[in-house]
Amino acid sequence: MSFDATRRQLLAATAGTAFVPATLVPATGQAQGTPRRGGTLRISVDQAVGKLNPLLVRVNPEYLVAELLYSGLTRLSTDMTPEPDLAESWAASSDLATWTFVLRAGLTFHDGSPCGVADVVASFEAMLDPATASAARNNIGPIAKVEAGEGRNVVFTLRAPNADLPVTLAYTNARIVPAALSKGPGLARLDREAIGTGPFKLVSYEPERLVVVERNPNYHAPGRPYLDRVEVVIYPDPTAEGSALMSGGTDAMMAVQPTEFARLQRGGGVRVLRTPSGQFCNLNFGCDTAPWNDVRVRQALALTIDRGAMTDFVTEGFGTKGNDTPLNAAYSYHRQQPQREADIAAARRLLTQAGHANGLKATLIASDRPAVRTQFAVALKEMAKPAGFDIEVQTMPHATYLAQVWRKGSFYIGFYNMQPTEDGIFSLLYTSDATWNETRWNNAEFDALILGARTTADTARRRELYGQAQALMHRDVPSIIPVFFDLLAAERTYVQGRVLHPRGAVFRLDHVWLGTGAPRRG
Amino acid sequence: MSGRYLLRRFGLILYTLLVVSVIVFGITQVLPADAAVMLMGENATPEQLAALRARLGLDDAVWVQYLHWLGGVVRGDFGVSMTSGLDVLPTIVESLSRSLLLAVLSILLMLVVALPLGILAAVRRGGAVDIGLGLVSYLGVSFPEFVTATLGILLFADLLGWLPATGYVPLLEDPVQAVRHLVLPVATVSLILIAHVSRMVRSEVVDALHTDYVRAARLKGLPEGLVLRRHALRNALLPTITIVALDVGYVLGGIIVVEEIFAIPGIGRQLIVAVQNRDLPMIQAAALVLAATYCVMNLLADLTYAALDKRIQYG
Repeated sequence: MSFDATRRQLLAATAGTAFVPATLVPATGQAQGTPRRGGTLRISVDQAVGKLNPLLVRVNPEYLVAELLYSGLTRLSTDMTPEPDLAESWAASSDLATWTFVLRAGLTFHDGSPCGVADVVASFEAMLDPATASAARNNIGPIAKVEAGEGRNVVFTLRAPNADLPVTLAYTNARIVPAALSKGPGLARLDREAIGTGPFKLVSYEPERLVVVERNPNYHAPGRPYLDRVEVVIYPDPTAEGSALMSGGTDAMMAVQPTEFARLQRGGGVRVLRTPSGQFCNLNFGCDTAPWNDVRVRQALALTIDRGAMTDFVTEGFGTKGNDTPLNAAYSYHRQQPQREADIAAARRLLTQAGHANGLKATLIASDRPAVRTQFAVALKEMAKPAGFDIEVQTMPHATYLAQVWRKGSFYIGFYNMQPTEDGIFSLLYTSDATWNETRWNNAEFDALILGARTTADTARRRELYGQAQALMHRDVPSIIPVFFDLLAAERTYVQGRVLHPRGAVFRLDHVWLGTGAPRRG
Repeated sequence: MSGRYLLRRFGLILYTLLVVSVIVFGITQVLPADAAVMLMGENATPEQLAALRARLGLDDAVWVQYLHWLGGVVRGDFGVSMTSGLDVLPTIVESLSRSLLLAVLSILLMLVVALPLGILAAVRRGGAVDIGLGLVSYLGVSFPEFVTATLGILLFADLLGWLPATGYVPLLEDPVQAVRHLVLPVATVSLILIAHVSRMVRSEVVDALHTDYVRAARLKGLPEGLVLRRHALRNALLPTITIVALDVGYVLGGIIVVEEIFAIPGIGRQLIVAVQNRDLPMIQAAALVLAATYCVMNLLADLTYAALDKRIQYG
């Protein structure tokens, strides 16, 4: 079955035009010549690697380490299509409700023990068990049952058909661990040690300072990884992290803040990476609560935003305008709608029609993490004022927001990473049965479109259904999505083969190698 | 000074720590969100949260949680981090050792620089050294650590390339690199201390030089050096010890900022991360360690006082 065959062309077509200025090295295709083996890569990350257990990791630095140490059945290619990892192939029943994955032969864990079908089944059972509290549970698809098939087959029986299963199984937390360590006290051992099948083996782990891994000689991909060693160093201060790269103390940065990007761009011997992504900042309406239950009020507010100015302000120029749907060109089923631009007169008219001729007062809540939430809220307050919106912005610590506002409030700022699939983002946030149905839009027509796309394998049909779903969202505005962020990173120029992944949580350092000029480390 | 006095002081310290632990525990209960919410973040479903809370023991009544924790501490078991699943005690001991290294080096540097500077400025009052010191110390006191630290990084790491920007290398792993990594943080912490303490030393020495006993010493014909050493300094330095002891408390606070900027995984950063994650056992242990250090430093200051001044008797 062929998935998303056009995505590569789509990205290629957009690169170098609207998204990537000509002065920038494109984020892909760095590799010069044949990869060389050996060397140590020192990559910096911006927060602690607080969790080692691959089923429980939660933030990008932890995802990075988990990806070095563990494998899934599939992995996400840079064009967002699934590629084989521990599974060498897969096939679906015609109704897309039963999927069979064939495991590679001769797989071993880092401790030398064989990795087989039983380990895969036990790992998925652990992810699906609520007691494990793994984020994989909500994200790997509607799996009813995982069982061993004939030979090296693993069979997934789904509660509902899902055309995207091979992509969802590449989820950041869907990693294979030894069956013996998949539950109870065994699982707790994975907080301190790592027994995976990934390209690297754990050497040392200090959560707040440094994680060191070395090449796994028994990795399933012949020739890879190229590096002998990877050191993940933690730098909580962004200026200090940038300085470390510029002075040669580190070889690469996992991610770069927009505020640091220009400085790094000017630094000698440093290459900056940039890729458009589906990561966005949005404003959520509780569509079941007055005054937001009136579509005209939501449309009016959406019409007050100068999206060009908002994008520049919130992303420091490293982003693209949004059009009130969660999909942009980084997703393959994105369909361009007429771009909604600021029209204060139209906004006033809609507001008057909705019975708010004298304006409308509201309190907008923004958490302080990441800081762009507050920036967005404050800019929106000013932009909406001429149309008659009197918005008071209330900021609060992220923990308070999570506990008191998120999914409960009716007017607050959200921030979401790009999801692996269109279905991933729609059924996470916007369908009536979404995991976090925070807008309570509950639109049956929309639900039917998303369900239809999930249960069909025909790419053209899916494109049409997702296109209609985007048009519907664009019209009804359950959520204002004005801005998408580019992902930014940086590395020394001798670092080769690194590709910035639009998903953000995927790194693929097993493809990286060191060219001439790399310092000897370790 | 009697053994009974020491025993009483230690008893008081233990009591203080108990109070601190109750207060810190109480505050964490008032904070919105708990470790389970922070662990799951925006991935939480109600049933997963419930399972996680049960596993972390967050379902128990507040006083049960506290007594459970206290019972562990009495047996020397500080529990397991709710975030990482690692044992709390070794984590805290290791991060404390890094902070102490930074603090001790900074205070030593401060003593070596600030005492002579302050004395010199006092003896040559109104001279070039005095005026220069006045200017520099006002600047030093008015720049917060995060400004001096960032300026230091930009100047010595970015522009000149003499020192590594940030990071921490253990002494045993690579002594040369370890020292190179410590230069900027130690300089940052001690700068503000030097500015503060040298001013104090100067004014105390100036006061002492104007006392009757110094005039008497001069009149009986003692050389000026001896007057300074034996009569002026001995009295002038007593208040300085109190200042230094108080500054140690300040260093432990100020070090949190410096550790964050220079990526030193010390006790301060441990505490910040623990609070952000609502990681109760880690918060408790870090707060206790900081409070205990403060108490012990105060005790040491009092004891030094008594050793230097025979008029002071503790009993």
